[in-house]
Formats: sequence, structure tokens, C-alpha cells
Amino acid sequence: MTDLTRRQFLKITGATLAGSSLALLGFSASVAIAEVREFKLSRTTETRNTCPYCAVACGIVMYSLGDGSKNAKASIIHIEGDPDHPVNRGTLCPKGAGLLDFVHSPSRLLRPEYRAPGSDKWQPISWDDALGRIAKLMKEDRDANFVAKTPTGLTVNRWLTTAMLAASASSNEVGYLTHKVMRSFGVLAFDNQARV
Amino acid sequence: MQRILDPARIEAFAATSVPRIRLPDPASLFARRGQRLRTLAEGHSLGDYLRLMAAVADGQQVALDALRAALVAEQFAQQLGRQIELAHEHRMPLLQAAGFPRQERWRAILTELCTSIAGAPGFPAGVRSVCERIIASPGAGIETQADLLIAARTSGVDAQAAPFVMAALQVYWAAMTSSLQMSDVTQIDVPGVCPTCGTLPVSSIVRSDKRSQGYRYLHCGLCATEWHLVRITCSQCLTTEGIVYHSIEGGSAAVRAESCGQCHTYRKILYQEKDPEVEPVADDLASLALDLLMTEEGLHRGSGNPLLWQNTET
Repeated sequence: MTDLTRRQFLKITGATLAGSSLALLGFSASVAIAEVREFKLSRTTETRNTCPYCAVACGIVMYSLGDGSKNAKASIIHIEGDPDHPVNRGTLCPKGAGLLDFVHSPSRLLRPEYRAPGSDKWQPISWDDALGRIAKLMKEDRDANFVAKTPTGLTVNRWLTTAMLAASASSNEVGYLTHKVMRSFGVLAFDNQARV
Repeated sequence: MQRILDPARIEAFAATSVPRIRLPDPASLFARRGQRLRTLAEGHSLGDYLRLMAAVADGQQVALDALRAALVAEQFAQQLGRQIELAHEHRMPLLQAAGFPRQERWRAILTELCTSIAGAPGFPAGVRSVCERIIASPGAGIETQADLLIAARTSGVDAQAAPFVMAALQVYWAAMTSSLQMSDVTQIDVPGVCPTCGTLPVSSIVRSDKRSQGYRYLHCGLCATEWHLVRITCSQCLTTEGIVYHSIEGGSAAVRAESCGQCHTYRKILYQEKDPEVEPVADDLASLALDLLMTEEGLHRGSGNPLLWQNTET
């Protein structure tokens, strides 16, 4: 077995090559060593992720230029199915295969936007304003429509006038939290859908 | 009705859905390597050395054909019986190279290889004299060198003779390995060493044939077994953090160095999809420029190429 206490990781330089099989057998490495001056290394990284489209949750590999160092801006150049992922074994559906365009799409939604009732225009809105508005409308609707008891006196504590459409590529943990939050409101209709 | 798979069944699926082991094809192993080395030698700054190794590979193929035929006649694989059981039981390499009771015939292969290289024209005088020196060496000295090479030692190695000694050992192990059934070789607990012989891999390769498309295999530098390792994983320390792929700008897209941000080593990774002819030993040797650049980056090779040895004492 390899002697781990003795084994060193190899450095390969012009100097070490002078003591290598190559030089000792009478070959010259000088041209090879000199030409390396002309070469430049490029770096890419590969990152595993989960396709965001549907609940099948296929594994993807995202290829980016740059190694994530501070002064280099990373850019995703290619996305493909992860061959090692047990769900999709390297395959992707047409939607997943188009993920690169999704990432770089000029019309990609980058911040919350709001369209007023009756308007045909979307306007930017801050996260605070968006969440505040959603909470306010939910509370109004819940206060007006919450059903604590049926006419026959049966306790039901349900809220049927609002529904929730949750994410599809969620983990078990996110699914659990979604369930806890929405059921606590009394919402019956919510769906972690697989059909976008 | 909901069906929940228990973890053991999921593991069983995973074991069979990916071909985990690829045994070398004895009909073409060294012939392909020789051909590849010759192709790579065209216009290469180390072309002469690559052509010498191509001649070695041609000799290896001839020796492999003969030894394979002998092993089949001796029913080598059938006689392993109990050893296969033991290897499976203890999750150990079946033909562990270190301490293996090598038969003397591997030295006959070495003599044969050296005789054919010594007689070949067009190589520096040093090549011929080394081959003659090896042929004249006493068996015990050669066996000591073989032990050092198998242990991947960096000192005490006769770097001049090493590529030839290693080439003969490769033939001996490849002949045994290619006589095995796929099911004889089992995954072992240390994913970084060869499951057949326990040697470190020379490089890794992402295969493009139908059964193995997109899967990455580590290629054993001794017996040429290939075993699956999940991509974007360091083949030294198995971390998935800080893996970066380096290549020479404007160079081949089929050869990159996979470096690890945790243990600061690298090993090359070849992509058959970019070039169907890539060969784990030949392309690793021919991309020595990438090694020089990686060392400048402060990253060290995890294990050497069997056809190029360095002696740290010199």
C-alpha cells in the first residue's frame, strides 16, 4: 500500500524535471519549460444545484467562469443535468435545458413589483412595502371571512377565501414549514405544485 | 397507496444504476495508449519522449496478449475463488499490489520490453544503455525497485529505469485484472485508491459511451481499472468545497486540472465528450505544461504518472 507517511505530493518544476526519467534518459525538457511562459491558466468552477421549475427537483451542474475570488466577477456560462444525481441522471426536460436563458434573461424578476388594481403597469416596490401590503390584505380578508363554527355549531376554524401557491422545488423542511404556517392561519387550500 | 422505499433498497438501486467499475479491455489497452501517444507527439515539445513511450506501449500490448493467453490457460480467475470472498468480506483490494507475491514472469516481460526498446532506432543513446543495464541487473535489485514504485516512494527510485519497470508491472497487473469478472471487484472503503490493486489513480476521465455517459472514473496507474467517483469531488480528500478546474487558455478543452481548495492538490480530469480519443495515461503525460503551471500556482499533484518519475534526492 502507498506509504502515506513517506509519500509527498509532487511538485513539477523545471528543476524537478532535471532529475526525472525524461532528462535522465537523454531527452531535453527545455523547450517545454520555456513555452510554458506563453501559456495562461483559465479557471472555471462547477456548482451543483436543484432545478427550480418543478417538484421533480432534478440535479443540475452550473458552469461558471472565474473561481469566485473577490476581484473576479463570476458568470454562469453553461448549465446541464447532473449525471450523478439519482433523480435525473444527467437528463433535463426542455424547460430545464433552457435554464441558462432563464438566469440571464433581461426580463428576469430581480425585485418585488406591484401592479395596482385596474392598472396595466408594474411598479417597483420595496420588500417592506410588499410584505406589509400582503399582511394587511390577508388580515382584512381573514377578519371578514374566517369561519370559526358552522351554522350547526361544529368548530371548524377555517379560512376559505385565500389560497397559497407554494414553491415546487422545496425541501422536506420547507414543505413542513409551509404546512405549519398556512394551517395555523386556517387556510385549507395550498399547493406545492409540480406543474408550472 | 403510498410506497416508501427503505434506505437499503435505495442503496441497492444506486449500486446497479451506475456502472461503478470498468475493467480494462485487454485487446486494446496498450495499443490505444501507444496510438494516442504517437498522435500527441506530433508537433509536441516533448514529442521524442512521447514517441519512446508509444514504443513502450506497443511492446506492452504484445506482452499483454501473451500473458493473457497464459492466464486463461491456467484458469487464473477461477482459482482466485476464496480470495475474492475475502476481498468482498473485508472490502479490500482483490489483487493488492503492495506485498503481492509477484511471479518471476513479470521480470521476463521487463527483459522482453527492454530488448525491443534497446533495438529500436531513433532514441537517445541513454535509452539503449538503460535498457541494457536493466536486462543485466540482478533480479533482487529489480524487485526492490518494483516495491518502491508500487509504494509510490519519492526517494530511492531509479528514475531512469522506472518507466520501463513500471511498464512491465502494468502488463502483469493489467493481464490479471482483465481476466476478472466485473462482479469480482467490489467497492472498497477508501474511494481514492484502486479497488482492484490499491494503487493511486493517475488521472480521472469523464466517459461518453452509452452506459457511462457523463460519469467520472478514476483510472488506476497500475492495473488500469476504472472506478466511479462523483464529479466535483476532490479525489484526494473527497471534499466538495473549493473545487476549481484549470485549463490552458487556447489549449485542449478535453484536459483540465481539478484542484481542491481544502488539501491544495490537483489531479487531471479528461473529457471524452470533447475528444473521444483521450487516454488517461497518455494525455496526462502529454499535458506536462499544465503540471508546470499548476505547481507555479502552489498546487501539487496528488500522484505521479507511471511513465515519468522524479527522484527527490537528485
